[in-house]
Amino acid sequence: MIRSLTKLLMRSAKRPARNCLLVALLFAGSACSPSRTDIQLDFVATWNGETIRCGKGAVQLSDLRFYVSDLAVTDAKGVEHAVLMTSDGRWQQDNVALIDLENAAGACANGDSEMRSVITGTTTAAGISAVQFVVGVPFSQNHANPLLADAPLNDSAMHWHWRSGYKFLRAGVATGDDSFWLHLGSTGCEGTVQNITSCASPNRVAVDLSGFSPENDRIAIDLSALFANVDLQDGSPGDCSSGPSEENCTMPFSALGLSFAGNPASRQTVFRIQQ
Amino acid sequence: MRYLPVLLATVLAVCLLLYWQNGAEPAYDWNLPADIPEPVVPADNPMSDVKVELGRWLFYDTRLSGNGSMSCENCHLQRLAFTDGLPRSVGSTGETHPRGSMSLVNTAYASRLTWANPLLDRLEDQALTPLFGDRPVEMGKGGRESEVGALLQSDERYRKLTKAAFPNDENPYSVLNAVRAIAAFVRSINSYNSPYDRYLAGEADAMTPAGVRGMDLFFSERLECFHCHGGFNFTDSTTHANVNIDRVGFHNNGLYNLQETGAYPADNTGLYDMTGEARDMGRFKAPSLRNIALTAPYMHDGSIESLAEVINHYKRGGRLIETGPNSGDGRLSPFRSEFVSGFELTDDEARDLLDFLTALTDETVLTNERWSNPHRP
Repeated sequence: MIRSLTKLLMRSAKRPARNCLLVALLFAGSACSPSRTDIQLDFVATWNGETIRCGKGAVQLSDLRFYVSDLAVTDAKGVEHAVLMTSDGRWQQDNVALIDLENAAGACANGDSEMRSVITGTTTAAGISAVQFVVGVPFSQNHANPLLADAPLNDSAMHWHWRSGYKFLRAGVATGDDSFWLHLGSTGCEGTVQNITSCASPNRVAVDLSGFSPENDRIAIDLSALFANVDLQDGSPGDCSSGPSEENCTMPFSALGLSFAGNPASRQTVFRIQQ
Repeated sequence: MRYLPVLLATVLAVCLLLYWQNGAEPAYDWNLPADIPEPVVPADNPMSDVKVELGRWLFYDTRLSGNGSMSCENCHLQRLAFTDGLPRSVGSTGETHPRGSMSLVNTAYASRLTWANPLLDRLEDQALTPLFGDRPVEMGKGGRESEVGALLQSDERYRKLTKAAFPNDENPYSVLNAVRAIAAFVRSINSYNSPYDRYLAGEADAMTPAGVRGMDLFFSERLECFHCHGGFNFTDSTTHANVNIDRVGFHNNGLYNLQETGAYPADNTGLYDMTGEARDMGRFKAPSLRNIALTAPYMHDGSIESLAEVINHYKRGGRLIETGPNSGDGRLSPFRSEFVSGFELTDDEARDLLDFLTALTDETVLTNERWSNPHRP
């Protein structure tokens, strides 16, 4: 617990307010520290407002797995609090969680039957009004040896051995003979696999959703927004794998708010609050 | 005197350390000629005979593929200097790879691995892409990495070899160790016994007179082959244990010039795909020319069928594709290497050059049992 909090503290050095709270928690003892309460976030995949699954419906999932890191919530007073994820040796460690909404059915041929739609953790926030997180793996963990990594970073299906780093997001839909999928990860990395120094396109997606209540709301991944301008009627399967000039990446990257091929970064429109 | 126990303990520790170092396994024997330096070996994966043996069984084991249909051998056949003879390799589920398989001979010396990945400098890291990658699917083991560790533990031969290869590991039955062993096996494959090597060693009649003339052409400023295909492995992306500089070369050799923009076909843009820098379009690693007569077809996409045509390609200084989606004159590409500028060459000279390239074939590496399939009786 202390180790976890120390790591969290180091990561949040840029946030003095949170830092202060954590210092208080660590060194002043329990008497004056705010109590931590459990928090659970629920995720759901949607297509035009309806839940989308593998093997069901006119448009079905072909894949949906992603990493969430740097999770925080904003309290009633507008103060941001980090969420400490509960390490479980499978889906979560302190600051990184894997969400897996595919179950290998139907078009989800590359997946497995296990699913995970929640993140569990603890927070000092009372009266949550907003949630913030990053879709991606923090730089220091992204380029470490995946064969030595703890869960959920030990999943070879989520690692991008070719580019060094993880696939932050694997998402795809299929309808009839047509399909489209996206693999998102850092590109343009410099150095060598065990010594990556930087990446020209980090491609981490920043999500900030206000008006959020963990008790009443779910976080929807709106695939109809992610693949809004993808032609799923032309009979030819398409894909985007984050390459530097893949035309197929222009629209999905725009929906994720990522700069791409000269287009500036913007606000993502894929992750939404669903009541 | 109260420091005496500390002093004694320190001396004892130093003695133990020295004893341990001396008592370590004997140095691995690479079986290299005296004038070839040893390759670089990652500190966390020292070579040993038993590790190479474990890697050999794994390299040839179809259980490392998702559907049990292929092993590393399918794309790396010993008789073809560990290539597969295809323009582009085919994975375990039938998907065609954008590029052809590269020879594994002397890859221990490759400063970068594969055709154009500037990040990959260790075989241990490279092996993960064919094992687990899914664009395209090669071995198809993605998401099922635990099966590899389980195989090391459940199979009696693997259990014994793994324990012996990684004697200090508490739990040696891991995918990490499987990959280390495969890397050690691949690292062990070396070849310096071609007619050219024997000629250099003083065997004057090891090469034909035509081959010797071809060698002089190869190393001439007129042809400039050696700028990219230089050194003892005939590639400028070579490193070894006695150098400290990172030598890597990626070159555009004028194969394509789509829409006269210098573009390459979208699935094979070379270094550009990794860096996103315009100037890196179509830049690929110059492969080693050792055993090159056996590794047709040529280029990253197998788009040139014979060595004679490769010579013609460089003679022209780029390829002209007159029709179709890939049409364009590679000679006019803005990204073409300065060393691919074309040259005069008579038909006789072309035959001499071909003779020289053929003299780089080492027949012994094709049959040496150290690297053959142990599963096959």
